[in-house]
This record gives sequence, C-alpha cells and structure tokens, in this order.
Amino acid sequence: MPMITATDLVKDFTRTRPVEGRFSTVRTLFTRQQETVRAVDGVTLSVDEGEIVGYLGPNGAGKSTTIKMLTGILVPTSGTVEVAGMVPWLNREANAMNIGVVFGQRTQLWWALPLEESLRLIGRMYRMPEDGYRKQLAMLTELLDMGPFLKTPVRQLSLGQRMRGDLAAAVIYQPPILFLDEPTVGLDVVAKERIRTFIEEINAERNTTVLLTTHDLDDVERLCRRIIIIDQGRVLFDGEAADLKRRYAPTRLVDVTVSGDGIDALAQAVRDLPVGVEVTSHDGMKASFEVAPERVAVSEVIAAISAQAPIVDISVSEREMDGIIREIYEAREVTR
Amino acid sequence: MTLFSICWHNMLASVRGEMQYRASFIMSLIFGFLFQTVGFIFVAVILTRFEAVGGWGLWEVGVLYGIRLTAHGLWVVSVNQLFRFDQIVQEGEWDRFLIRPVPIWAQLMFTQFRIPPLGDLISGLFLLGIALPRVSIDWNAGLVVFLALAIIGGALIDGAFQLGSAAFAFRFLMTLPLRIVFDDLQGRFGSYPASIYDRPLRAFMTWIVPMAFMAWVPATVLLGRTAELPFPEWVAWASPMVGFALISGAVWLFVSQSRHYQSAGH
Repeated sequence: MPMITATDLVKDFTRTRPVEGRFSTVRTLFTRQQETVRAVDGVTLSVDEGEIVGYLGPNGAGKSTTIKMLTGILVPTSGTVEVAGMVPWLNREANAMNIGVVFGQRTQLWWALPLEESLRLIGRMYRMPEDGYRKQLAMLTELLDMGPFLKTPVRQLSLGQRMRGDLAAAVIYQPPILFLDEPTVGLDVVAKERIRTFIEEINAERNTTVLLTTHDLDDVERLCRRIIIIDQGRVLFDGEAADLKRRYAPTRLVDVTVSGDGIDALAQAVRDLPVGVEVTSHDGMKASFEVAPERVAVSEVIAAISAQAPIVDISVSEREMDGIIREIYEAREVTR
Repeated sequence: MTLFSICWHNMLASVRGEMQYRASFIMSLIFGFLFQTVGFIFVAVILTRFEAVGGWGLWEVGVLYGIRLTAHGLWVVSVNQLFRFDQIVQEGEWDRFLIRPVPIWAQLMFTQFRIPPLGDLISGLFLLGIALPRVSIDWNAGLVVFLALAIIGGALIDGAFQLGSAAFAFRFLMTLPLRIVFDDLQGRFGSYPASIYDRPLRAFMTWIVPMAFMAWVPATVLLGRTAELPFPEWVAWASPMVGFALISGAVWLFVSQSRHYQSAGH
C-alpha cells in the first residue's frame, strides 16, 4: 500500500529580477519584472508502507522543496500529493498528526528550554496520554542515549545531541511516516552511526515509512534498499540501490601482486586469461583486471592466475556508491 | 479544552524560556513598567491641561482613551507573535507552525510572552477603572454587555489591520512599518473624540481606516452622545460588529496569502 504518492509535482518560485546598472537598488524596488525558478519539475514517486527510501540529488536539486510539499509546508504549483491518503496542504493538521519531520539544518525544538520540556510540549500537542508519553520518553532516552542531556537547554547541546533530540521529537508520538531531511549533516562518524541504527530500529519495530534525503552515501548503503535520484527538479533514477550498482559497476576490480621471481609468470598469466577479463594495467609485479562476473567467476580468474604465478597479495573490490553518484551528478543523467 | 491546555503550556514554556535569560527578563519588566508610567503621565497631562475636548469632559475622554487602550492591549497580549512576523516568514520559521497538528490561530495566540503588551492592557483597564465611575452612565445589563463586546470588537479592528498587513509578509514584503503606522495612527488620533477633527480626517477614520469604531463610537453610546455621530444611533450600537467583519476579511486575506509562502533554503 503506497503511503506517499506524488504525481507530476511542480513547484515554481518567483522573485523580482534584480535590475542592473545605475541606481540598480532603487530601480529593483520598482521593477515589475519577475523571474520564475522551477525547483521541482514534474516529480512522480510512490513510497510503500514500511519502506526506507533515499531521496538523493546534488545541492539545489529540489529535494527539500519536494519534502516541504509532502509535509504540507509548501503548496504545489501543480500536480498532486497524497500522504496516507490525505492532501498535506489541504488537511494540514490531520497530516501533521501522521508525519514526523526532521530538518537537519534547523531544529524544531524550543531553543531556550531543556530538551525534556520540548519533548513534553510536543507530546501534548500530539495529544499523547501521560503514560504513553512516559513510556515513549523512557524508550527513546535509552535508544538515543539522551539521559545525560535531557535536562540541558537545547541551545547548549552539541550538534550530535541536538540531532538526537530532534529525532526523538519527530518519533515520540509514533507517526507512521518520517521525513528526514539530512539527519546526519555535520555529524561525526560515531554520531552518524548511532542515528542510522536508530532509524533502522524504528523502521523495523513500527514499520515506519521513511523518506530520507542525505549527501552521505553511507546512510544510503546502510538504510535504503531503494533510492530516488533527482536533479534540476526531475527524477533521474527510481529503483533498487543494488540495481544502480549493477548498472554502473557490473565489474569487479582485481588487483594482483606477485613475488619478484614471478614477473615472467605473471606476464604469461596475463596472456592466458579466460574470456570476460580485461587487463586495465600491468607493470612488472603488479597487474589489475576488470572481471565481468556474469561471464566468468572471480574465483576462476584468481585460480587461473595463481596456477601460473606466485601471488603475494590480492584484492577484489567493487565500485563504491560514491563514485557512481558522482558520475550521475556530473553527467546529469542515468545510463539505461 | 485540549487546545486550551496546549496553548497554555506553550505560553508557560515561553515564560520559562524568557526567564532563562534572567537579567534580560528583569530589564524588560522594569522597562515595561517605565514605558507605561510615561504613558500614564502623558494621559494625565492631556486630561488635566484641557478642561474639555470637543465638548467632552475630562473623564469622558478618559473612558474613550481607556476603551481604546484596553482593546489594543487585549489584541497585542493575545496575538503578540505577529510583532516579529516578518522575521518568522523570512527565516523559514513558519515551517514549524505548519508541521504541528494545532490550528494556526492557536499557535499565533498565547504562545509568546512579552511584557510591553501586558502593560498596555493593564493601563487600559486601570484608566477605565478610574474614569468610568466619574462619568454619568445609566448602567444596565445591556450596556455592560455592550462595553465588553465593544472592547472585543475594538481589539478585532486593531487585529484586522495587524493580521491583514502581516499577510503580505508571505510575499516577502516588510510589513512591520505598515503595522507601526497603524499603531501610531490609532494611538495618536483614535484616543480622542473624532468629532474634534475636520471632516476629511473624520471620514478617513470612520470609513477608510475605521478606528473611530474602536473607541469613539462605543464611547458615544455609553455616554449618551450618539447625536454627534454622522450616522443613526443603531449603527453605533452595532459598532462591535465592525471588528468581527474586519477580522473575517483579514483572516481570509492571511489564509489566501499564506499559500504563497516560499519557506527558506530549497
């Protein structure tokens, strides 16, 4: 059952075009020239209940604008949105009950108050019964290790602590849908890991639907089976992360180093390689190959080489998600 | 009831938040008090220097002044989030209002605690308290209800202009200057009987920016001075309705403009 659907979603932003030349500031005040920037340009997507979907794209691609339309903050210029069967901007309050939102760049907590008070206010706004609130608070305090800073004013929290507080605030009323806009931005490795584990647990336990934007592909590798990539407001790719990898990195990279007396043997082995292997470099004791696994097994290649040359070191790797995404962002398209 | 409790606790939280910065909280208490004292002295000077304004006695003007100040105070105490509304919209803080399952009006009302507005309300009530017993009014239940409604209606007239102009913040306009102008206008001109002004100014205050309905018109009803109004007496009795009508228009404008909200950082 789809929890989130968007069809041909478009959002235009208008602003007054700045006038150039003499007295430009004053003339800008009186100009009627408007310019329209299309931030989201016909996005269609659908997310099923319980899915964690990574919503990726370079800066300015339209990720946050999409999220803001899905959360009911922005009204779409055209197209339709439904979140748990409701149009977010028309049923703003009912929609708000269903969703949890974290904007990594900006806190939703009360700046001057202790974290616990923010959580309590939120619990009250979402009409949580007292015992339910207590139970959730205790559970989240433990899961997110918030005990040490529950009584600290939010403005005094570290970024990692604040982000955990924001996550707690977004899930304490147990919404079936979570929108996480860069929840790991600016955090250290340990803090990122803690947040990933938390998202994973909430998703597993409550079957929460999660739409996540991030620039950290470790988040994606760890959490998202499915990803949607957008750029310039358009969907470039929507499918399994593994599929993208297969498309972009079908080959395995094998690096081999042989001992000093194996130089000739290696040269011979390189000449005798099975079909489906390509030599990318060969220089004395070292050689690198690209293996197409659908044509020949990596193990077979290794066996063939080691039968002829004394291998001292070997590594097999696949292309990293990072490189794939970089290539897509640069090419601004996805190869079929 | 739940909604009331949400508002109330948000308000308490805001007070506690303010008190975190203790020195600044105390300073704002002191300045709030000073500000109102200066206001009082000014009123006293005006009322004692002029025997009568446009045929109105000292305390009659006091009643009028008191109605306006109370009405104004009632609005600014209830909805003082609007004071920094331009900033809320420009910096994208409005996002936070939109993702909470609480009506927008409830989030704008009673969620912030500021001292100066409280001063306006207290001074207004104080002035009414001393002026009303010193004028001759034939009190009856109807008149008491009328006074209460007139004050609420006055608050809504004030609010209609504040809310209506704040609506344009969604178009990235600076609306604070507009609101300050209205504040200033009603403070300077709205505190005296409009009958003392020239016809064009009086017409402006009655029909264009109807602040005459905030205090002057209700005061003529209380004081039996409806004869000096440029319209029949029943219109004066209906004056609280003006506030309700204007606020409906302002709410409509605010809601329709809010569709143009662009948030911040895309």
